[in-house]
Amino acid sequence: MLTAEGISKSYKSGRRKILDSLEISIDEGEFIAVMGESGSGKSTLLAVLAGILDPDLGQVLFEGKDLYKLSDEELSDIHKRRIGYVPQSNFFLKNYTILENIVEPFLADPSKEREEYEQKAKLHLEKLGIGDLADRFPHELSGGELKRAAIARALLTEPVLLIADEPTTGLDSGTGRIILEYLSEYVVSGHAVLVATHDDHVKEYAGRVFDIRKSQTGL
Amino acid sequence: MSLKRTKNTIKDIQRHAFLNACLLATVVILSVMLFSVTVISVSLKKGMGNMRNRLGADIMLVPKGEREKAENMLLEGSRSNFYFDGAVYEKVQSIDGISDSTSQCFLKSLSADCCSSEVQIVFFDPETDFVVGPWIETEYKQKLSGDAVIVGSDIVSEDGRIKLFGQEYAIASQMARTGTALDSSVYFSTDAKSELLKNAEEKGSFLTEEQKKGDILSSIFINVDGSHTAEQIIDSAHKTIGDIFDVVYPKKLHESLSGSLGKITGVVNVISLSLGILLVAILLIINSIIMKGRKSEIALLRVLGHRKKDLIRKLLSEIGLISLAGALGGSFLGALIVIPFGRYIGKSLDMPYLGPGIASVLLQILLIVGLVILIVFLSSVFFIIHTTNIEPYLALRKEE
Ligand SMILES: Nc1ncnc2c1ncn2[C@@H]1O[C@H](COP(=O)(O)OP(=O)(O)OP(=O)(O)O)[C@@H](O)[C@H]1O
Ligand SMILES: [Mg+2]
Repeated sequence: MLTAEGISKSYKSGRRKILDSLEISIDEGEFIAVMGESGSGKSTLLAVLAGILDPDLGQVLFEGKDLYKLSDEELSDIHKRRIGYVPQSNFFLKNYTILENIVEPFLADPSKEREEYEQKAKLHLEKLGIGDLADRFPHELSGGELKRAAIARALLTEPVLLIADEPTTGLDSGTGRIILEYLSEYVVSGHAVLVATHDDHVKEYAGRVFDIRKSQTGL
Repeated sequence: MSLKRTKNTIKDIQRHAFLNACLLATVVILSVMLFSVTVISVSLKKGMGNMRNRLGADIMLVPKGEREKAENMLLEGSRSNFYFDGAVYEKVQSIDGISDSTSQCFLKSLSADCCSSEVQIVFFDPETDFVVGPWIETEYKQKLSGDAVIVGSDIVSEDGRIKLFGQEYAIASQMARTGTALDSSVYFSTDAKSELLKNAEEKGSFLTEEQKKGDILSSIFINVDGSHTAEQIIDSAHKTIGDIFDVVYPKKLHESLSGSLGKITGVVNVISLSLGILLVAILLIINSIIMKGRKSEIALLRVLGHRKKDLIRKLLSEIGLISLAGALGGSFLGALIVIPFGRYIGKSLDMPYLGPGIASVLLQILLIVGLVILIVFLSSVFFIIHTTNIEPYLALRKEE
């Protein structure tokens, strides 16, 4: 489904190479945990794989196409429907309700389609245990609630690949479990999930652990 | 833009209410300023151009002590009743060095059954005239004679006729608008003078003793030929008709007025240019703040799969709608301020002021709306493109 080859990345302000000739591939039905200490480049890697951070070297092939050679239209369509991304911090549109935040890409669509997506969004929220928060605004939710809302947002269009950056970090183990259960179920239905985490609980759910330090030749 | 799209755009605008309100306020101020400045300067220029036609004589002789009234009459159209004896004109004509001369006679404020407000009546001699003719707007429909008149632009008649003191006159032609009291004047040929005065008296209008005499005139307009000076003519006039007149110099009046108009427009241009630059700078600042504030929002929308093109279009339509509303509102506000006070503005500047008609106001609004939208677009497009081009992940991280 996704293969990344020879990925190298360093940030302009820091001379250090964060990622160096990294290889990773993700197949259908896989639940992969990217692990490594803080600052090892997990978030950077996930962003590169999600198609929102251009690597310095290497290519990311998603369904056979190099993400960073696609036109803006093609890449946007992939973001809209094929790859779901949950950022490490909770980013939401301020003056939109949680439900509006989740269905935002379809807000301008005809009301019938929009309602379909709203139903789907509510279902996700309910299953994640925050069904009653749909009409609240982001600042009225706790961190863990927001994280779950972010997952609902990423899953709205049933993407084949879900990339979630620390979906359980900072949450109590109960909430963490709700999330991890939910992601495992998602994998079973023919999708793939990639999470970055320090949370050892994740190992119980992940089919494969990807150690970011050990898997890089140059580092 | 469809209705639904517009509704969504309005909703989006409301979600960033404060900054968008700042933007709107700036656009309104910019539009009020642009509208007022253009209307006022166009009106002053029009007033001046129109006045030049009326001030086409080198010298105007008026009865002694009436110079100020006569100047007011030329500039503002306020009529006065002042008279020479009719015989004076022939004596003046005989003076050496005059290339053109003509006489006029004014009747101030006669209430007539044609019109709701009082009309002012001017008798002039179509044979020798060179001051009324140049500002007749419409073509003569017929030769001016005892029973045909020229009317000012404010006098409307549906059937092309006008009734004064019981007698009907055909309207031969209409004057260009002056924006002064002259617009409610009726111009007669001198031939009609005695009959009209007689009719007026019979219909109960109050006439002064002088007016009853009939053979009177109010002013004599003179152009000096190339080989004489105005002073020489005035000297000769003193010798010929005695010390019974004051002199007004219409052309000089016009020159000094256009001189001060030039100064005024110069000052206005400098002030409005600096104000305009200031406002554009404010626009740039507001737009940069707006886009900076929306950086993470844009990044998030990109992550969620919005295309750059669509985001740019979305942002531009928000800004376009704000500037459309602001420009329309500002122009109307400007119109509300400037148009009712136009004459007052002209007066306070001591300048002829010819306010615009509806059509030109609308055209002006249209131009200003276009210009303002363009300015706002240009002042925002750089920030919009820059923001949509930042790599989404980096933009998101900056907001952490
Ligand atoms: N915009 C940036 N400019 C410069 N350096 C950066 C930038 N973003 C990240 N870094 C550096 O890159 C390295 C990797 O960052 P990254 O966020 O990928 O780490 P991480 O493994 O996700 O850490 P954590 O577990 O704490 O989330 C860090 O050392 C960080 O300081
Ligand atoms: Mg991280």
